[in-house]
Amino acid sequence: MLPLSLLRTCQGHPMLVELKTGETYNGFLVSIDTWMNLNLREVVCTSKDGEKFWKVTEIYIRGSAIKYLRVPDEIIDVVQEENANRRDNRPNSRGRGRGRGRGGGRGRGDRGRG
Amino acid sequence: MSGQMSSSGGSGNRQRPVVLDLSKHVERSVLVKLVGGRQIRGTLKGWDPLVNLVLDDAVEELRDPTDPYVLTGKERKLGLLVARGTSVMTICPTDGMEETENPFVEQE
Repeated sequence: MLPLSLLRTCQGHPMLVELKTGETYNGFLVSIDTWMNLNLREVVCTSKDGEKFWKVTEIYIRGSAIKYLRVPDEIIDVVQEENANRRDNRPNSRGRGRGRGRGGGRGRGDRGRG
Repeated sequence: MSGQMSSSGGSGNRQRPVVLDLSKHVERSVLVKLVGGRQIRGTLKGWDPLVNLVLDDAVEELRDPTDPYVLTGKERKLGLLVARGTSVMTICPTDGMEETENPFVEQE
């Protein structure tokens, strides 16, 4: 299970993001990219000391600023289900060359996850 | 890397999701937090995929130097500025932003 694929399945779910500064952002994950840059919606921002709170409609957070993210426990089931489905969907392409025949061409095609 | 790539090249779902779409914030007031603790409010005039930003009528919201948790309410006028992407941490629109009471009390 890859961190980024877990986070991708979290899209639409509530999560907590703590930045390196100590501020935390609670909100619904809208989108996330390969740098862990993300957009949250309906956010509550909490100051580092936990004393102050702000409501924010949406926010863009740069991946490099993130310390950690807390995700709902249920997500783990969803991820495992998705993984299982993916395995079922291509049973034959096991032995040889992941990424072959998936289109897209050029070498980078088989980089990263299947 | 084209700026406002909205539908990222089609078919195979090699994910290239568009997380960064600041075009909806252009000409609106945004609050930008920078690495190191400064925060800047200004009208977003432009941006690029590296998150370099152009802010107009920018003001820095100053913090108390002795207690960085506290916003002093004082501001420093900066005018037109370019914020370097590598030092941008968060970007959020200022309208709809308000301080609230602790919304988590019942959970604790």
